[in-house]
Amino acid sequence: MPAMQIRLDPWPVDTLDGQLTLTPFSGELIDVETPRWAAVAPRPIPQRLERVYVVDGKQRMEARLHVTDDFGREGHAGFGAYVAGAVELCPHGSRQAELIDIRARRVLAHAPDLALSPLLLSPRHPQTGELAYALMATQPGGHPLAPMQAVQGAMLAHEQELSHGLASAVPFDDTDDREHLRALTIQDGTLRSRNLGGAVVGCVKTIQTLYLPTDRAGLLAELKPGERTPILHMRYDNNRVVRFIWYVRLCEAAFYHHPMSGVMRLEMYAPEDSDFLPPIVRQVAGLSGELLCKLASKPHKDSRSPQNLIPTAALEQAMGRSMGSLELVTRRIRSHLARELGLDVGGAVA
Amino acid sequence: MSQPSTPGDPNGPRIGMVLGTEDATPTSFWFSVSSGASVQLDDLVVVQTQKPDGRPVQFYGLVDNVRKRHEGVVFESDVEDVVAGVLPASVSYAARVVVTRVDPEDFIPPQPGDTVQHARGEALKMALSADKMEDGAFPAGLLADGQIMPLNFRFVNGEQGGHINISGISGVATKTSYALFLLHSIFRSGVMDRVAHKGGGGQAGTAGGKAIIFNVKGEDLLFLDQPNARVVEKEGKARATKGLSDERYRLLGLPMEPFRDVQFLAPPRPGNPGSAIVPHVDQRALGVTPFVFTLREFCAARMLPYAFSDAAQSLNLGFVIGNIEEKLARLSADGSGAALLVSDWKLDEAESVPDDVQFDALGKVSIQTFGDLISYIEFKLLEQNEGEGDPKWVLKQSPGTLRAFVRRLRGVQKYLSPLLRGDLTPVQAAQYRPNLLTGGYQMSVVDIHNLSGPAQMFVVGVLLRDLFEYKEKNGRQDTVFVVLDELNKYAPRDQSSPIKDVLLDIAERGRSLGIILIGAQQTASEVERRIVSNAAIRVVGRLDLAEAERPEYRFLPQSFRARAGILQPGTMLVSQPDIPNPVLIQYPFPAWATRQGEVGSSDTRSDEEQGAEILGL
Repeated sequence: MPAMQIRLDPWPVDTLDGQLTLTPFSGELIDVETPRWAAVAPRPIPQRLERVYVVDGKQRMEARLHVTDDFGREGHAGFGAYVAGAVELCPHGSRQAELIDIRARRVLAHAPDLALSPLLLSPRHPQTGELAYALMATQPGGHPLAPMQAVQGAMLAHEQELSHGLASAVPFDDTDDREHLRALTIQDGTLRSRNLGGAVVGCVKTIQTLYLPTDRAGLLAELKPGERTPILHMRYDNNRVVRFIWYVRLCEAAFYHHPMSGVMRLEMYAPEDSDFLPPIVRQVAGLSGELLCKLASKPHKDSRSPQNLIPTAALEQAMGRSMGSLELVTRRIRSHLARELGLDVGGAVA
Repeated sequence: MSQPSTPGDPNGPRIGMVLGTEDATPTSFWFSVSSGASVQLDDLVVVQTQKPDGRPVQFYGLVDNVRKRHEGVVFESDVEDVVAGVLPASVSYAARVVVTRVDPEDFIPPQPGDTVQHARGEALKMALSADKMEDGAFPAGLLADGQIMPLNFRFVNGEQGGHINISGISGVATKTSYALFLLHSIFRSGVMDRVAHKGGGGQAGTAGGKAIIFNVKGEDLLFLDQPNARVVEKEGKARATKGLSDERYRLLGLPMEPFRDVQFLAPPRPGNPGSAIVPHVDQRALGVTPFVFTLREFCAARMLPYAFSDAAQSLNLGFVIGNIEEKLARLSADGSGAALLVSDWKLDEAESVPDDVQFDALGKVSIQTFGDLISYIEFKLLEQNEGEGDPKWVLKQSPGTLRAFVRRLRGVQKYLSPLLRGDLTPVQAAQYRPNLLTGGYQMSVVDIHNLSGPAQMFVVGVLLRDLFEYKEKNGRQDTVFVVLDELNKYAPRDQSSPIKDVLLDIAERGRSLGIILIGAQQTASEVERRIVSNAAIRVVGRLDLAEAERPEYRFLPQSFRARAGILQPGTMLVSQPDIPNPVLIQYPFPAWATRQGEVGSSDTRSDEEQGAEILGL
């Protein structure tokens, strides 16, 4: 009988999930790069890769509303805000990283059968900006969470457009070699929506599901920082999304951590045809070790290190700031309503 | 008194916005510097804000702190990630302003987001309160960007305030140079005439202005009437390095010329009694007048107390000094001439008799030297009546006190002898009597650097006392500036001396008499507090940092005190009543020579010709 063994999950207990949940996976995995299951050494980042974008998005609900339109129809609605942005950086470190395109958008998400008009919430003081809520219809059905889902959907769509618009295109065709890998987008989280054809690699911070069978999972513990597993072609049981996945180690696991900690799963869109591995995907996998080791965060600066990348953390902060203080927004909404109702609520409003 | 509002030029470039993340108060606020703009310490800025009723309020102020930092990052090591290009961050560049003026005086805070502009033109005048100074403004130097920093002459000449006090480390603080520059500016900018004109003739203009400068160090000030050979080169260089639009003297509107109408006075070289009187200077051969006092003047003008720098230490000694002073003054009324005539010096009773006693026609002893005068006093106090002394002179003081008195007098005998002579003809006496006010000179440089400590105290004390008495009699119409370095020696905080009393008189009452003290010292903390605190204008050059923390410098805000430790020669912090904060100024290289090597070639004669003049050929 083996001795009892305790190993720590590296992330603090107050985060939503641990780094390693390791649920077993039932689906289809195909060796698409090589049948030899062994660590692959990192390759240098090619000079012609000039720009790397780290893209992320964020959304929040600012108020849950019950609205009645001019025709007396009632329904659920919500004030929501979302933002998607990117950090542009040079993988060779030749220039400073910059935040680009971080602008919060605000929507009034409402049941589709209501006739509403957009809202402009003016502040009492001209220097603090206006809040403009555009109209957005939710899915029909009147579910109370529908406004929130609509805001999240808008955010994901925006993030997806941004990710693919910034990156080089990935040709899914053997003969098409026009496009080289010049710009790569690192998207936070698993690939969720439609492939828009760009070189977008999804970084999954946690290992919720262990896609590898037990006989192969041991390699994750043996990887050295920067090394990766071979690329696999993966298909879920429900056949929904097809993608390439591989694992990269970002840092050594401390002796008290689970040996698989410090490993990150990367994903790229895959064609249905499981035989074809686009050269750009192979290139991205090759350089991913060196690139991500550069961007990995340190445990004393980020509790979700190393997987929460340095630019991602900065981006999250900037996005949070761009949406503004929720408290002030709430007050603005209240004072707007007060004005509409002709009440004097004094100086207590923003 | 408030002027019509003059906001910053609405078309002028914005250099920043008032920060909302730091407190903005009516006296101090931070602003974020716009990208591409450059703001440095001492820049003068203007901010306009609006009251809720729409009326504008302007804040004028001085940048006293600037800083840059990474914004949006948390850890100090993040700078490495930022430079490596993995962490996006922006640089925040912010400046702190201390407000010098709020116009109108509505002390509301500026609003975060308000536009900040450089103060130029009218706004600059408002920032420096030049509009309040009117005709009284004269240049005290240049601001960093080459604009004139005005000083209010009404706070110099005694009208609203008086006296200037300068502190700083010797050598690097250039205290005397700045004092001279201020004199140059006062005499040559025409401010005295303007103020006199406006005052309706109550005061004389530039023509009536006089200056008395005590030269205490080297022969630095003996060439003030000579052009400086290096000034053109130095000023050209300064103009280039500071990026000024013109040469500094022209920017200030002052002539680049040496002083005019200067007389130089120096003590005579020590020698035997009866020797020729030659000025005791080494570098300057011509145009220096020696000055001596006759023994009769010494007695008549009651100069005795100034021979004792520590008279107040003992009450009894002070009593003896006062008594002897009185006796000598009475003696001096008898007869005329330089020597003092005494009839009651019984030489047969005396223990020590001068070798060459001279008698006048009536058989009185004619005292020719200071040493003989001491011998006479010693006789009267300790030898007459078989050692009892003349009771009218002794006045029941103990022999110990009397001996201490004589001992002290003997102690300074060597130093004062060259200055006090009884062997002068009336013509000589008139020629060598120091005449600081009525001789037709605007400036008098009194060189005392070759004198020993007691003699310096004596000369400064006697001359200032004379000046004070003269002005008491003649009124304040002419303004007399007295430049005196090393105030800590003449008016120390914790001792009393006759010269300190004179200086205190000048500090406290000189204002109303038209005597303006331009005093300087290394450490204001060691100078009598009342003298420093009476100065309306305070100037600080390079300071020792420990000194800068003393309460005497509390008029400097903390950031200025720290900066006082790194000021370069030619840069001063000037504080004046019109502006609540000190202002950093630069002033030009002297246009007058400050040593022999700098003298420009205005004298075109050959060395032989000049030599011949020296020798009187």
